[in-house]
Amino acid sequence: MDKPKILIVDDDPDLRRALKIRLRANHYDTVQAADGYSAISVAQKENPNLIILDLGLPAGDGFVVLKRLQDSDTLSDIPVIVLTARDPQSSEQKTLQAGATAFFQKPADNNELLDVIRATLPNPWPGTALPS
Amino acid sequence: MNNGHTHVLLIEDNPGDADLVRLRLVEGDSAVDVNCVSRLADGLASLTKQPPSVVLLDLNLPDSRGADTFRKVLDHAPGVPVVILSGQNDEALAMKALHQGVQDYLVKGDITSAHLERVMRYAIERQALLRSLEMSRHQQLEFKNQFLSHVSHELRTPLTCIHQFVTILMDGLAGEVNPEQRYHLQTVLNSVHQLRAMIRDLLEATRAESGKIRIEPRCITIADLIQQAVSMMAATAKEKQVGLEVGLDSRIPFVYADPDRVLQVLINLIDNGIKFTPAEGSVLIKACIADADPNMVYISVADSGCGIGADARALIFERLYQDPNSADNNRSGLGLGLFIAKELIELHGGRIWVASEVGNGSTFSFTLPLYSLAKLLFPVVTYDGKLRDAMVLVKVELTPLPSISRAAWKEVCQQSLETLRRCVYLDKDLVLPVTGNIGFTETLFIAASTDLERAPVMVKRIREQLEAGAGFKAAGLLKVSASAVPLPAHEDGKALPDLVEAVADRITEMARLGMDLKPVPESGNGDASASKLSAAN
Repeated sequence: MDKPKILIVDDDPDLRRALKIRLRANHYDTVQAADGYSAISVAQKENPNLIILDLGLPAGDGFVVLKRLQDSDTLSDIPVIVLTARDPQSSEQKTLQAGATAFFQKPADNNELLDVIRATLPNPWPGTALPS
Repeated sequence: MNNGHTHVLLIEDNPGDADLVRLRLVEGDSAVDVNCVSRLADGLASLTKQPPSVVLLDLNLPDSRGADTFRKVLDHAPGVPVVILSGQNDEALAMKALHQGVQDYLVKGDITSAHLERVMRYAIERQALLRSLEMSRHQQLEFKNQFLSHVSHELRTPLTCIHQFVTILMDGLAGEVNPEQRYHLQTVLNSVHQLRAMIRDLLEATRAESGKIRIEPRCITIADLIQQAVSMMAATAKEKQVGLEVGLDSRIPFVYADPDRVLQVLINLIDNGIKFTPAEGSVLIKACIADADPNMVYISVADSGCGIGADARALIFERLYQDPNSADNNRSGLGLGLFIAKELIELHGGRIWVASEVGNGSTFSFTLPLYSLAKLLFPVVTYDGKLRDAMVLVKVELTPLPSISRAAWKEVCQQSLETLRRCVYLDKDLVLPVTGNIGFTETLFIAASTDLERAPVMVKRIREQLEAGAGFKAAGLLKVSASAVPLPAHEDGKALPDLVEAVADRITEMARLGMDLKPVPESGNGDASASKLSAAN
C-alpha cells in the first residue's frame, strides 16, 4: 500500500528538511518545493495527497499558489495546510477564504499539525468514499 | 497661508467691534479678506463649508458665552488656528484657552493693525508646525508598529527551525538520546517556548497600543475556563511547590467574553502568582458575583508571595514595567503581560486592579460582563422605538464526521461562523453568541427579523454559503432549519426594554428546546451528542 504523499512548500531549506524527517517518521512520503512557481509544477508532476504551504515565498507567494491550485482542474481537491510565520490575526481568515483547510503559525506544535494532517487525509488510507 | 492671501473668519456680534477689526485688518500690508458672522452657529457652519486661514473669536455671543465658545470652535475645527478677541483682560481664562489649543488671546482695546497682523501670521505658522509634528508622531508610531511586526515575523523563522530540530532529537528521530542529553534538550525547548511567548507579547502589545486587538466574545462558563487555566498551570505550580486552589460561586451565570483571551489573562495572572510565591505557599483563584454590580462577574487571583509596594502598584499595568525589587530578575520577561491583560479586560468592558501589601501577598482582580441576550438583541429587534413585526430563529447544526480531529473541527467551526456572519444583515439579524468553547457538535443560532414565509430563502442561502466553504464537505454534516419567534403584544403598555427582554427569554427557551444550549463539553461525552445528531439527519 502506498504511503500518503505530502508536498512541503517553504523557502527555508532547513525547515523543509526538518518537516521531511518529522513526516517520514510518521509514515508519510514527502516531496518539496522552494518557491511558488515550482510548487505548482511539483504538484502537477507528483500529484500529492496534501500540501503544507508557507505564505512568504519567492516567485508567487502562498496566496498566488492557493489561487492557482483552486483554479486548476486537477489540483483543486488537494487539501492545503498553511504553515507560516505571519500573524494569524491578519492572515488566517484570508488563507481560509482562499481555500486553505487549516492555518498554523510557526513554530507550530508537532502533534497538532500531525492531528490536522491525519484528519484532512481520507481515513483509512487509501481513501474510502466520503459521505456527500 | 493660501498663497499669501489670508481668509479670516471673524465671529463677533458687536457691529462696532466688528467694523473696527475689519478696519485694522484692511489697513495692514498683507492681502486679507474677512468673513464676519455674529452668531456661533453661523460661525461653525462657515468653518465646515469653507475652512478659513484663521478664526478671530469673540467669546460672548448671542448663542454661546465664555469658555464654551472656544471649546465648541476647537472641537468643530481642530486644525484651524483660533485667536480670541475678548472685551475683558482675564488672564485665567486666557491660560485656560491656550491650554486647550487656542493660539492667542487679545484684549480688544489694545489692538493695533501691525500687532493683529503679526499675531495672525504667527498663529497660522504655529498651527502648521503643530500639525506637522502631529503627523510625524503618527508616522513614527506607524513605523514602530510595522518594524515590530516585521521583527517578530523574522524571529519566528529561525525559532521554528530550533524548535523543529530540538523536538526531532528529543523524539529520538535522529537516534537514541540518553537521560542527561534529554534533560539538556528539555531546557532548550523551555527557552524556545519562552522566546515564543515573548515574541507573541511584543506583537500583542504593539497591537494593543494601536487599538488593533480584536476580541470574539461568546457566551461562556467562567468556571470551566478557570479549571482549564488551573490544569494548564498545574505542572508549573508543582515544580515550584506552590499550591493552586479554586473557590467558585456555583451561581455564576454565563459570561460574555472571548474564552481564548480570558484564558490568556488567567494564565498570565496565575503564572505571575506562582512566580512570586515561595515554595509551600499557594495561589487562590476565585470567581463570584458581587452585590455592588450584579451585571459583572468578579475574578481574583491571590498569591501568598512577597507583595507589591505602593510605588510599583501604581505602575504595574504600564507597558514595559518591571519591578526592580523582583525576586526573579533573571527571567522576568518583557514586562508586557499585565499591560496586555489590562488592555484585554478593558476591551471586554471590564476593569482590572491590584490590592497588595509588602510581605502579605497580592490579589489581582478583574471584572467581566455577564451575558445578556436582551442587550445584544435590542438594536436588531427594535425599529423606530417599536418591536419589529416578525422574528425567526434559524438553527444551524454542524456535526463533525467521526474521522475529524478536534483541531481541524475547530477550524471548520470558526470558518463557518465567519461565513454565517457574512450571510446576515448587520442591522436586522443577529448571530447569537456561541455557547461554551468549541466542542464536538456545534449549534449556531441566528435571530433574524424576517417572517416565516421569507425564512426559507434565508435558510437556502445559509446552507449554500456554508457548503461552499472550503473544507466543510470533508469535515461534517449540516442541517439548517427555521421557526417563528412568537412576539409579545405591543398594546399592554410595556416599556420597550421589557418587551425585548421577553423576546430574549423566548429565544433562549426555543434554543434550549430545539437543542441543548448547555456548554458543549471540552471532551468526553461529545460522542454521545454527535451520534444523536447524525441519527436526526
